[in-house]
Amino acid sequence: MTALGTALRVEALAWRRSTVQRLSTALVLVLVPLAAVGLTALARSGTVVGAGAAKLEPYATGDLATTQLAAAGQILSVSMLIAVGFALAATFGQPLADGRAGACFGLATPRPTIAAARCLVVLGRALACVVPALGITAALAAVTSSGLGPEAWAAAGRGLAAGMLGAGLGVPFAAVATATRSPLATVGALIGVVALTQMVVLVGGGSWFPYAVPSLWTGMGGAEAAAGIGPAGLLLTAAVAPVGIAVVTRQWHRLTDV
Amino acid sequence: MSALPLHQAGHRFGDRDALTGLSFAAAHGEVVAMVGLNGAGKTTALRVLTGRLRPDRGTARVLGEDPATMRPTTARRFGHVVGAALVSGDLTVVENLRSAASLHGLPRADVEHASADVVHRLDLDAWADAPARTLSAGNAQRLGIACAVAHSPSALVLDEPTSALDPRGVVLVRELVRSLADDGAAVLVSSHHLDEVARVADRVVVVHGGRVVGELAPGDEMERRFFAMVLAADAEADA
Repeated sequence: MTALGTALRVEALAWRRSTVQRLSTALVLVLVPLAAVGLTALARSGTVVGAGAAKLEPYATGDLATTQLAAAGQILSVSMLIAVGFALAATFGQPLADGRAGACFGLATPRPTIAAARCLVVLGRALACVVPALGITAALAAVTSSGLGPEAWAAAGRGLAAGMLGAGLGVPFAAVATATRSPLATVGALIGVVALTQMVVLVGGGSWFPYAVPSLWTGMGGAEAAAGIGPAGLLLTAAVAPVGIAVVTRQWHRLTDV
Repeated sequence: MSALPLHQAGHRFGDRDALTGLSFAAAHGEVVAMVGLNGAGKTTALRVLTGRLRPDRGTARVLGEDPATMRPTTARRFGHVVGAALVSGDLTVVENLRSAASLHGLPRADVEHASADVVHRLDLDAWADAPARTLSAGNAQRLGIACAVAHSPSALVLDEPTSALDPRGVVLVRELVRSLADDGAAVLVSSHHLDEVARVADRVVVVHGGRVVGELAPGDEMERRFFAMVLAADAEADA
């Protein structure tokens, strides 16, 4: 077995047993479908008035199942970023903070390979959550609406891609955790990036800013903003994960004073 | 050739000298114990020797290679526990051992047998399926050592390997260390327990002020001879 194969097997077992993984998986699988269906129901109930009603207006009209699945995609695009960012803050930051990362030195499985495997396992597990989260939403949509038409399936497909892109955007936080050697500082950076994304979108630069692309593409900023997301913006966003893995692998190759 | 040589290692943390030209070596078949007061530089030296810290000056070698960049084929014959061990609290004792053996490069077909063997040698059978985080400090320390030796290393570095152990655990680790050395491994241990190192070590080096200030022959009145050596080193430094 190759070193990467060994590292993937070991990291997958550790991640499968981890409390962070169990909690985040349950939250994604339960909260995303409930939020998507609940949000749409709330928008169409007529009980929300004022500023809240204006915010919910995009969900108040149109095909019910399509709206529910589009909402799920929007929520996934952000929640997967946060889930992967938190997970990598924990799995990279905590062992560096408490010295456990020192045990990864002097192994036949090189530590850059372990770092890459850790990223891939967390990312893979996150992607494996996107599919059932959308599947549960689709099942709920099928039950609560008159069925899933082509538009609904298209919304589900876009949600799937947006969830995957959002998960990939979390990968650079492994590098942040390695640089700061602190899970809390990494979570701070994650919050900072989310806030920065809001500002970039406000000034109109969202279509090129990877951290804004998935949510804008799923319609969070309206139909016009979604139409403004082109292949180049999507490719740039998709490139963030491999670049992040390359950076963290390099960091772990040079790691010292652990 | 020494399996674990450290030559003229020097390192500063900020304005504090941690290592000031520390040199020693452990040869194959030999247990070398490093003793010293808190802050003497023992753990820093072990971190250099395990590749976790690149010294400002001097060289470290593990089985002939720089520990910070050693090849997997060389690392396959190396084991260490310095501070936290290669243990995940979420995994069971056996899962941790299998993972450690795999990461140390043991072929997959041998992992099962090697894990079972070391569980038995360190008397962890009763906790084999227990999550590591539920173990007592002593059992956790034994697990950490087990993870470092599951692949039968030719060079082994252990920092305070008996600090949390009960008398039975101390005997088990002593027997393990001795048997690895008898099989040809070079073993370096650091310890505060002079009586314990006297029982297991072939040589005892005294570290003080970031350097080796002498060697103690295992035997009577080690404590008195240790303090005499440390005080003499202090007097020499003050002169």
